[in-house]
Amino acid sequence: MTHKIECRHIAKVFIQKGKQRVHVLEDISLFVRDNEFLVILGPGQSGKSTLLRIIAGLETPSEGEVLLDGRPVSGPGPDRGLVFQSYMLFPWKTVLGNVELGPRLRGVPREERRRIAQHYIDLVGLRGFEKHYPHQLSGGMKQRVGIARAYANNPQVMLLDEPFGQLDAQTRYFMEKETARIWETEKRTVLFVTNNIDEAIFLGDRIVTLKGKLPGRMDRVWEVDLPRPREHTDMEFLKLRHTITECCELTL
Amino acid sequence: MAEMEEGIQRLGRQDRAIANEVQKSVRERRPLTLRRVITNEYVLHVVSAAAFLTLWHEVAASGVFKGGLCTPWEVVVRFRGLLTDTLAGLTLWGHIAASAQRIAIGFVLASAVAIPLGLFMALNPYVNAVVKPVFDIFKPMPPIAWVSIAILWFGVGEESKIFIIIIGTFVPCLLNAYNGIRLIDPELYDVVKVLGGNRWNEILQVSFPASFPAIFAGLQISLSLAWTCVLAAELVASRSGLGFIIVQGMKFTDAALVIGGMVMIALVAWLSSLLIAGLEKLLCPWRRDIRDL
Repeated sequence: MTHKIECRHIAKVFIQKGKQRVHVLEDISLFVRDNEFLVILGPGQSGKSTLLRIIAGLETPSEGEVLLDGRPVSGPGPDRGLVFQSYMLFPWKTVLGNVELGPRLRGVPREERRRIAQHYIDLVGLRGFEKHYPHQLSGGMKQRVGIARAYANNPQVMLLDEPFGQLDAQTRYFMEKETARIWETEKRTVLFVTNNIDEAIFLGDRIVTLKGKLPGRMDRVWEVDLPRPREHTDMEFLKLRHTITECCELTL
Repeated sequence: MAEMEEGIQRLGRQDRAIANEVQKSVRERRPLTLRRVITNEYVLHVVSAAAFLTLWHEVAASGVFKGGLCTPWEVVVRFRGLLTDTLAGLTLWGHIAASAQRIAIGFVLASAVAIPLGLFMALNPYVNAVVKPVFDIFKPMPPIAWVSIAILWFGVGEESKIFIIIIGTFVPCLLNAYNGIRLIDPELYDVVKVLGGNRWNEILQVSFPASFPAIFAGLQISLSLAWTCVLAAELVASRSGLGFIIVQGMKFTDAALVIGGMVMIALVAWLSSLLIAGLEKLLCPWRRDIRDL
């Protein structure tokens, strides 16, 4: 059986200021099963965002390749949806306008894309905010729009790049719950990048840890065998948290 | 939990809540006290303006400047007269219209060429490489420096004045359109790429709307420059316009005419910039301030 996503020996080298070579990723090999929620956990500056951008097709790997359903990825495409750390909503579009952007670019007729957009606006809990502009929304609500926008393009794979990194702890906790709820309502293959271990255990089916400091390298893969919905204070949850922390010495 | 539900019920009609996030709208009403009246922004505006006019009046009435300064009231009377009487065949309205028409023609022509050119330069490196050297030669040249050559080329008619306005407004229009696109966060283009859009989608969905505020900022700068240009042109040679009124006042040592002309220019320039601001509000309802980009 082929996996939904497979990364084979990916390495990335950026050339800085003409000649300085910066190794960001080294020998990353991982796979994501169909409809699996995979979390990539690593401290800042471990190249995890670059890895996600490579899978999204926005960067080309210096070595290795990314396979989607067994076929190599050669650029960005609507089969992979990306949720950005800094939201990247279009301030000149309303919530509805932002969410329906994907279907609109694919030429979906107006009525149909309105219906799709409304469905996902409802799914992320933003009903009643369709006509709001992004600057009228709070951080958590902005990222809800970001998630709805990615979903509305009906991708097979959702890529989330530290989506809640800019939120306060309370809102972040709510958004994690929401993410789990949304994922269970409409299952997709999810690759979720974070530097937060609680977030990783709360959401992931499996967790891939990266070693700190550049270049980013694979550390270990952890199975999270906890029933959903999960509780942060659950004994098993805390045990796993302890084990991973011990093992990785995550300095977060 | 009960506490939270209670909290949500107490929210007003304008309030909205999602999970733990609440958007509240509150209107505050405070008692009217003398202290609040005195420190009120608008009251202070009126006090300041009244003090200025009084000072002006006293200085003018004292006769220190002899014929060089008149009282504010004399200016008002002089210009009220001009609403019906004519100066060189035109009423005040006629002179305002003459200046405004020059500005309108020059401004529209300049922005119609400069904005698309600036956008092209920012979007296409080849266009940029071709246009930039020539543009850089003209960029630092003050538009007033063109007055003499304009009169040599086009005579003292309308063409020379419109030409100077075009020269003056072209640079800021182009620069702002150019920078408007250059300063866009490249990740915004990634959004379109990831959703499956092509280069044309990127330009249409991101480049154009994102550069709107910068283009309008350029239009505002251009407009105030256009007034400077038209004034300079009219001061040198003209038979109509607000600059002409000022020159006439100077010739006949009519201080009321000079000062009134200056005030009228300020007034009309201010009104025209309000027009642009209104247009921007209409076209960019999403824009609160440029940082939101």
